[in-house]
Amino acid sequence: MNSSLIALEICVLALGTVLLLADFWMPVERKKFLAYFAAIALGGLLLAGFSDSSFCQTFGTAFNGAFVEDAMALFFKRFFLVAAILVLFVTAEFSDKIAAGISEYYSLIIFALAGMLFAASANDFVMLFVSIELITVTFYVLVSFQRAKLTSLEAGVKYLIIGALSSAFMVFGIALIWGTTGKMNFTELAAVASQFLDNKIFLIGVLFLLAGLGFKIAAVPFQIWAPDVYQGAPTPTTTFLAIGSKAAGFVLLLRVLFAAIPAVAEQWRDFLIIISGITILYGNLCALPQRNLKRLFGYSSISHAGYLLLGVAAVSATGQSAVMYYLAGYLFTVVATFIVIVLVMQNLETEDISGLAGLNQRSPILAATMTLAMASLAGVPPLAGFFGKFLLLKAVIGQGIATSNHGYYCLVFTALAGVLISFYYYFGVIRAIYWSKEAKDLSPIQLSGAAKLAITICIAGIVWIGIFPNTILNLADEAAKSLGI
Amino acid sequence: MHVGLEHYLTVSFLLFALGLLGVIMRRNLIVIYMSLELMLNAANLALVAFSRFNDKLDGQVLVFFIITVAAAEVSVGLALIVALYRRRQSAHVEDLTSMKL
Repeated sequence: MNSSLIALEICVLALGTVLLLADFWMPVERKKFLAYFAAIALGGLLLAGFSDSSFCQTFGTAFNGAFVEDAMALFFKRFFLVAAILVLFVTAEFSDKIAAGISEYYSLIIFALAGMLFAASANDFVMLFVSIELITVTFYVLVSFQRAKLTSLEAGVKYLIIGALSSAFMVFGIALIWGTTGKMNFTELAAVASQFLDNKIFLIGVLFLLAGLGFKIAAVPFQIWAPDVYQGAPTPTTTFLAIGSKAAGFVLLLRVLFAAIPAVAEQWRDFLIIISGITILYGNLCALPQRNLKRLFGYSSISHAGYLLLGVAAVSATGQSAVMYYLAGYLFTVVATFIVIVLVMQNLETEDISGLAGLNQRSPILAATMTLAMASLAGVPPLAGFFGKFLLLKAVIGQGIATSNHGYYCLVFTALAGVLISFYYYFGVIRAIYWSKEAKDLSPIQLSGAAKLAITICIAGIVWIGIFPNTILNLADEAAKSLGI
Repeated sequence: MHVGLEHYLTVSFLLFALGLLGVIMRRNLIVIYMSLELMLNAANLALVAFSRFNDKLDGQVLVFFIITVAAAEVSVGLALIVALYRRRQSAHVEDLTSMKL
């Protein structure tokens, strides 16, 4: 057994504990800066992973095959580290609104990150369950952290009930899969899964397991919590939910479908196509009448789960690498969106879209950032969102030609219709920034140095991933190879 | 009468269905939460039964993990429900309506 493989996770857990302890000795007015300390520490871990040392570069399995370190695990670990660093920057800007326990908030983000890192390496149903619960239970607290706000508590309770329901489904699904096949390990299960394709109990188990994962990524019909929770949760939590939690759901979905039960994935193409199409349409249509910005992005995140499912439904290596590429672009776009929301809404009680009015006079940088992020979400070339959607659709069309399944062509048209609908509400946000007459408050917004840094990183990410896709795409291709379908 | 795997599985399915019914039908958050625990325990029962009849221990190990995680989930969940009750003086789902379109 090679337990040095989990060095990264142990470092992250230690960092979370250090933050909890630092709470005792840190003067109250300085606690805000713990976020920068945590971000720098995570940045150090990220750079250590890129350097040539053996730190989180050696591939292999640990804990009897339950934990696997491969190209895909590495890709997603880097992804989650970057996500957590950017979310910490967002949190630092938001910290004035969290009255007590800001260092607990930071350390909970770090613990959720640890869960995501374990999820990236899960190769066993026990590991899958424990890592997903570590993420979910941490998020119950993160969502309801503003205890004085009723909406935050309500969002927390809704997330709790639906989250616990989905984990009950997942556990029951695991019980049925394990009971019929006798395998917990994904690699071992893949070898025998094709013998169980006509076993009803096994298929029910798979369906229940997928229901649990569908909750994490907010795919129809398990999307019902997303708008309420996105709206009620503190904005940094919403940011982390929209990228970290969703990506964790996708890495587990990819592993389960393509590393554990590839035979079922092959057989259920039509099912995946339908789920993906409905999710895209539902998210985009429901986003149209929204006025609350965070609720709008809640629905928009449902539609993006649908776009990402295009790559899953393609059941091909190009589809999987497109999913990973799209997530990388989505990461910077979402953080850019929410950091603007945090900065603009700092002194406002509402989170209504009209709060953005006059932003181009209050802070041209923020206005430009938001515009860029909206354009990327909508899929305007040459930004990251455009190339990501292009790759996803290319993978789907490729499968349509290869399997001559007409469902794939219908799916392409559904996705294109969804993109057209989404232009309406994304450009509604841009219109509110530049052409709204309702602006009352035109005082300039002061940006801290850290906020400027985070915004620069996000803009650079959106543009760089879109214009020079090769680096990320090569990493994603490499990662998709390790799934071996 | 010999009690076999299918009997345990039937009980487990029934428990799961009862729990799901409780989550859907009941209006009190605490009762909903109890029903959720029932669903988790249905899964535990299935796992232990499969372990016993297939002579494998992995399922029982997973049950320990599930019990531990469920305990953590309950402690967070009940704290949340208490906090909500303090604000609203109610633990009914009909009162969770401050966020609507």
